[in-house]
Amino acid sequence: MLASIPSSTLDGIDGSPVDVEVHVTNGLPAFTIVGLPDASCREARDRVRAAVESSDLSWPMQRITVNLAPTCVRKVGAGLDLPIGLGILAASEQIPLESLAGISAVGELGLDGSLRSVPGILPMVDVLKSDRVIVAAADAGVAALGAGDRVRPVRRLRDVVDVVSEGLPWPHVEPPTCIDEVADEPDLADVRGQTSARWALEIAAAGGHHLLLVGPPGGGKTMLARRLPGLLPDLSAEAARLVTRVHSAAAIRLPGTGLVRRPPFRAPHHSASMAALVGGGSGRVLPGEISVATEGVLFLDELGEFAPSVLDGLRQPLEEGVVRVARSGGMREHPANVLLVAAMNPCPCGEGGSVSCRCGPSARMRYSRRISGPVLDRLDVMVHVDRPSPTALLERQPGEPSSAVAERVARVRELALSRGARTNAALNREQLEDSAPLEPEATDVLHQALQDGRLSARGAMRVRAVARTIRDLDDAGSTLRASDVYSAIGFRVRPPMGSFDA
Amino acid sequence: MREDAQAAALGSLAGATPRRLHSLLEQCSVGEAFEAIVSDRIGVEVAPTEVLAEWRSELKAIDLGALSNGLDAAGARVSTLKDPTHPVQLLKDVDPAPLLFSCGSVPDPSLAHVAVIGTRRASSIGREVAREIGMGLAEAGVVVVSGLALGIDGEAHRGALLADGAPPLAVVGSGVDVVYPKRNRDLWAGVVAKGAVVSEAPLAAKPEPWRFPARNRLIAAFSDLVVVIESRASGGSLLTVEQALRRDVEVMAVPGSVRNSAAEGTNQLLVDGCAPARDVVDVLVALGLSQAERVNCRGCADADLGGSEPAEPGGTPGAGVHAKGAAVLDAIDDGPTSMDQVIDRSGLSVLEVYTHVEELVASGLVVHDGSRVRRHY
Repeated sequence: MLASIPSSTLDGIDGSPVDVEVHVTNGLPAFTIVGLPDASCREARDRVRAAVESSDLSWPMQRITVNLAPTCVRKVGAGLDLPIGLGILAASEQIPLESLAGISAVGELGLDGSLRSVPGILPMVDVLKSDRVIVAAADAGVAALGAGDRVRPVRRLRDVVDVVSEGLPWPHVEPPTCIDEVADEPDLADVRGQTSARWALEIAAAGGHHLLLVGPPGGGKTMLARRLPGLLPDLSAEAARLVTRVHSAAAIRLPGTGLVRRPPFRAPHHSASMAALVGGGSGRVLPGEISVATEGVLFLDELGEFAPSVLDGLRQPLEEGVVRVARSGGMREHPANVLLVAAMNPCPCGEGGSVSCRCGPSARMRYSRRISGPVLDRLDVMVHVDRPSPTALLERQPGEPSSAVAERVARVRELALSRGARTNAALNREQLEDSAPLEPEATDVLHQALQDGRLSARGAMRVRAVARTIRDLDDAGSTLRASDVYSAIGFRVRPPMGSFDA
Repeated sequence: MREDAQAAALGSLAGATPRRLHSLLEQCSVGEAFEAIVSDRIGVEVAPTEVLAEWRSELKAIDLGALSNGLDAAGARVSTLKDPTHPVQLLKDVDPAPLLFSCGSVPDPSLAHVAVIGTRRASSIGREVAREIGMGLAEAGVVVVSGLALGIDGEAHRGALLADGAPPLAVVGSGVDVVYPKRNRDLWAGVVAKGAVVSEAPLAAKPEPWRFPARNRLIAAFSDLVVVIESRASGGSLLTVEQALRRDVEVMAVPGSVRNSAAEGTNQLLVDGCAPARDVVDVLVALGLSQAERVNCRGCADADLGGSEPAEPGGTPGAGVHAKGAAVLDAIDDGPTSMDQVIDRSGLSVLEVYTHVEELVASGLVVHDGSRVRRHY
């Protein structure tokens, strides 16, 4: 007997449809899986057998062949356990063959016959077009984002058999309890002092400008960076779906509701490899940190300790908002729309710029050279984060809360959308000409800075975008004043860091 | 050229100290000395017999043609004490240098020579002062002598090259064909083009630490006056100062902040009685090159100070700096000040402070390195 059940497997961050064909025939008892299964997929035979037997069903003592079509696509993960199990039950006539019509299934089986969640459920159900999609109860919320009310969550293999062969109704599954994501985000109110760093954070959040925090250890760079996502507005419906897909594919724990609504925050350690940061891996191309952080914040602490080649690998994704990872098996395009926040010490000893710095000029120069000019050039806002003064630390008065800042940020972000760009940082040359005209004095300021060599041509464009954000935060006047441009230049990154040593 | 190669060979002998070479070359010409060593006709008053024996075997093995080519390739030449081109300052010295490698043309000894020296790990203010003094001296027709090291030394020469004035003279611790530190390659080439790089070390000699005290002695020997810009509590610059004092060469020191560890040595020099050098005019006055100008210059400096001191009650703010700009300028120290400090002190908003600081940067009153700001004069 032959049974065929549609299912799908994960390819990068996309699902890829798979037809699970099961053939049961007389002969010596055997079980083979063909069609490029990977190791975890091939192990299905032992899981499925145990699950079938634990579900009070019998394992056919016949020759079983499972084919995963199309055979040219590599199948990964244990999501095909359920369709293989159902196929064997149908092909061995334990459930009626026709009852499986219009049903597709994705899920991992436990030895006791229970159904477990699988990573990447959202992109996988996205490609399933059948009337009913069976998934593990734990995956119900996320799967519903892709397949809506076609989703049939079940807890164990036996439940499916009861429904299709006994005609019982689909079991009711309680939706998981929601976690308030916002409550988890640290608040700016905890930050004492750091007046200019707060502003830099607000500008970065409002305009989507990449941010560089420089300062001695213990100054609060990491603390500030962690508060940046809290300033960003909720993800749009489209962005939320995209982020959820990527997170699902990368096997990152999703919030209880399934949908990621808050901008993600990712802080990879500086030992991260190129594949970890931009995506890759052998066999299956996994999304990298820059894709997982898409629509949110990618925080690179100790920027100077990252391998220079890895940092340079971020240049193109930062520019284009997508990262294309090419492997022998083909090219995958993953989203990479991040707000990059980098933190570093001014010099190896960390005290650069103050009297206690112990680094010689060559040590300092070597340190600042670790970050290539093109990478620095993509960081639009730089701020020095000093250790707060004791009086600021003992201040009882809490700082301005994140919610107040977030309101201003949301307003500026809407202005950017009305100009036709995601953020002010993404405004292209023509859009800047239209939406960020300069007063004559402001033009003079830019010219002067260009002439003095304090700005590059590219830097001047970036300064204009930052000035636009600064003005939007102020009174949203249409024409940029000289003072807006001056402030933007003040926040501009300058390479010889910590060159004042006394 | 053969003479040059022979001199270079003598200079590269192991244990050929300036004193030994001096007593050798006082007696005879380079060629004679070379022959005399090879044929063992040198007396023990020059060097102990075992050293002489070693010299003999070294000179016999030496390839004069290759040495001559090496000199040509480096564009270097050798002068010895009997050459008319040998710097006369070195002959009259208490520790005369009988043999000198040089690249470029050694400045006329009749010009005033001033050494501008200091620490490698200088503060940005120290580097600026070094450049200004180097430039001012060169403009006034004074040869700037220095060691081409990182920090103060290099900056002094950078300044001297910016001026269209007297040629610079660099005394280095490595061979004249070994650029050290490598970062100063362009500076090195500039000094060779306009003045000279000289050294007692043979060609291809590495900048080994033991060569530097001898180099410092030459800097002192060349100079009529030594200006120390910034020096740490113990440093090579202080060795040069000692050498200068041995030769009765006047030493001046640039006063520094008491919190600046790079200025500890110079401040100690001032305590010990060195004359302070506030700017190039002080140095020129000490040299006797300027007197009337001093008075004029002080006069206009005072006028400037009054003009740009906006905090003065009733005083008019400096041209182009309006009230808020003046408040920001007032909140900035001479030393590095963090932006948060400026914000706190001025009581202005963050954006106002960033705006006005950048305005002040554009008008050259303030320097901003991304981390901190400080006043600029």
